[in-house]
Amino acid sequence: MVALRVRATPERAFEAFVGEIGAWWRSNPLFAFTPREPGVMSFEPGEGGRLIETRAGGKVFEIGRIRAWDPPRRLVFGWRQAAFAPGMDTEVEVRFDPVGEETRVTVEHLGWDSVPAVHVARHGFPNEVFLTRHAEWWQALLASYKVRIGGA
Amino acid sequence: MAAAQAKASQGIDAILTALADPHRRQVVDILSRGPRPAGELAREVGLAPPAMSRHLRTLRRSGVVEEFHPDFDARVRVYVLKAEAMDELKRWLEETERMWAEQLTAFKAHLEKGAA
Repeated sequence: MVALRVRATPERAFEAFVGEIGAWWRSNPLFAFTPREPGVMSFEPGEGGRLIETRAGGKVFEIGRIRAWDPPRRLVFGWRQAAFAPGMDTEVEVRFDPVGEETRVTVEHLGWDSVPAVHVARHGFPNEVFLTRHAEWWQALLASYKVRIGGA
Repeated sequence: MAAAQAKASQGIDAILTALADPHRRQVVDILSRGPRPAGELAREVGLAPPAMSRHLRTLRRSGVVEEFHPDFDARVRVYVLKAEAMDELKRWLEETERMWAEQLTAFKAHLEKGAA
């Protein structure tokens, strides 16, 4: 599941997502940005601003830059881990949709821009993630880089 | 445990790097419909055979595809997708999803801490 509701307005949720990421982010060894001790995450607000991780010694690792800054509804930023090969880049899109007095926060982790659109149009996103057939699996995996990972 | 994780992560990095090229993704797409000889792949993708050989080598080294020779002709190389690479990619997608689920849960807890 990559979407959930929070008891807050989109304005507050957006502000906290960006401005307080250092407080709520949980470092995860599988998704470490660098091989070293994890540091503190922070955004530089606004389009072109960076998402960085600052380690205790003051060293900064740039995870990505903000590619779409549309408060309070939408935020898109680049996502690279140090182990990624040159030319390899992923993208994260976060949406904040009002639902009554609450906000639905949805995260999509997208792959390379260059995944051919025609491919996605042809195959779409599978409703059933656990496809059993070999062929369908590959097509589904490739397509899922372009569209949302996870729930339909 | 950490070493096994690091190894798994290297595997997925190699696979993701291999798939970062549009020609190689096209090869994977074609092979998802069944095994193909190298020459046929080159024609379908529209690349010269040497360029296709390089891409196939990258895909082979990252464990995405493997080659075999049909019994009737040892000179022909036929390529097929490897199930193991698929499993790793699937795992990576699942882990990414799980990671974001954890982060959003932490985000929600942070946001609602004072409000409740």
